[in-house]
Amino acid sequence: MTTITVLGDEVASATGEWAEGRPLVEPDALSAAIGWTLKPEGLCRDDMCVPVRDRSAMQVGDKVDLAVAADALDRPTLVDPDTSAVVLGQPNATRQAALRDRQAPDFTFADLDGVDRSLSDYAGKKRLLVAFSSW
Amino acid sequence: MHDELADDDFIVIAVAIDEATDEVRVLADGITYPVLMDPDHLLTELYAISNVPAVVWIDEHGRIARPNANEFGSDMFSEFTGRTREGHFDQIRAWVHQGVVPDDASSEIADLDEDELAARLHFRLAAHLRRAGDEAGAARHFDAAARLAPLDFTVVRAAMPLRGESPFGEEFFKLLEEYQEAGSPFHGITPAP
Repeated sequence: MTTITVLGDEVASATGEWAEGRPLVEPDALSAAIGWTLKPEGLCRDDMCVPVRDRSAMQVGDKVDLAVAADALDRPTLVDPDTSAVVLGQPNATRQAALRDRQAPDFTFADLDGVDRSLSDYAGKKRLLVAFSSW
Repeated sequence: MHDELADDDFIVIAVAIDEATDEVRVLADGITYPVLMDPDHLLTELYAISNVPAVVWIDEHGRIARPNANEFGSDMFSEFTGRTREGHFDQIRAWVHQGVVPDDASSEIADLDEDELAARLHFRLAAHLRRAGDEAGAARHFDAAARLAPLDFTVVRAAMPLRGESPFGEEFFKLLEEYQEAGSPFHGITPAP
C-alpha cells in the first residue's frame, strides 16, 4: 500500500496502490480523495448521483480506479505514478456552460487576509472579474 | 472605477493567477475591492483564460455579459493596443447605468483543447511539487506543461518566477516573439481601439 496524493478541489491523500500505472484506492478512501462515494446507484455526493456506465472498468478487485472515477465525473485527469499523484481538473461541463451558455462558474479563493471569498458572495451586483498576476 | 460605481450595485473582484502573495500585496496596495489568490490557476480552467489581464463582465444574475477580454487597468500598453483604459471604463459605465454592452460582448470564446487542459494539470502538479520541495519533479511537469501549451502565458510565463527565471528576461521575450508570430492566440476578445 502507498499514499496517493490527489490534487482535486483540495489537496488530499488516499491510501491505495499503483497497479500497472493505475491509481487504485479503497472505496472508503474515494470520498476523502474526490468528495464522491461509490454506491450501487453510481458516484454520489450529497443527494446527487452520477451513473457509472462501466463499473467493471472502475473497480479492480476490491479497489476503485481514481482516474476512471474522475473520468465518469467529466473531469480532466492527470495520472503521474512517478510522484504518486492524481490531478483532477475542473469539470468540463462547468467550463462549457461558461463558454456556450454564459453561466459564470462560481469559485472560492482566499483573499489577501486569508478569508475565503466566492463569486456568489456578490450575487445581485454587476461584477467585473479581473484576472491578473505579478508575473 | 470601482469606487466611482460602488454605490450602483457594482463590484470589482480581482483574482491573482499567482502564488506570490507578497508581490500581489504590493500591487493591491490601496485597493478597496476583494483581491483573491488563485495559486492553482483554477480560474484559467473554469473560464478558459490563457493570458492576463483577462476581464469578464458578470451580471447580477450570474450570467456572463461580456466574456474574457484583454483589458488593461492602465494605459501602459495603449501605444501598442490602440485601446485606452478610459475606452473600457466608458463601456463599463454604460453597462452599469444603462445595461448596454458593446458589440464584441457576443464574441464566442474558443474552448480549451485537450492539450491546453492537460497543460494546466501539469502546471498544477509542478507548482504543488515545488512547494513540497521536489524541484526536479516540478521542473519535469513545468516542462510537460510548456510542451503542451507553449504559447499560453498562464502556463509558460507564470512558471518563470517559480523556476527562478525572470518573467521579464530572455525567456519571456522569446515567448512574446513566438506568441506574436503565431498571431497572438488568446482565448478571449482583443478589444478594438
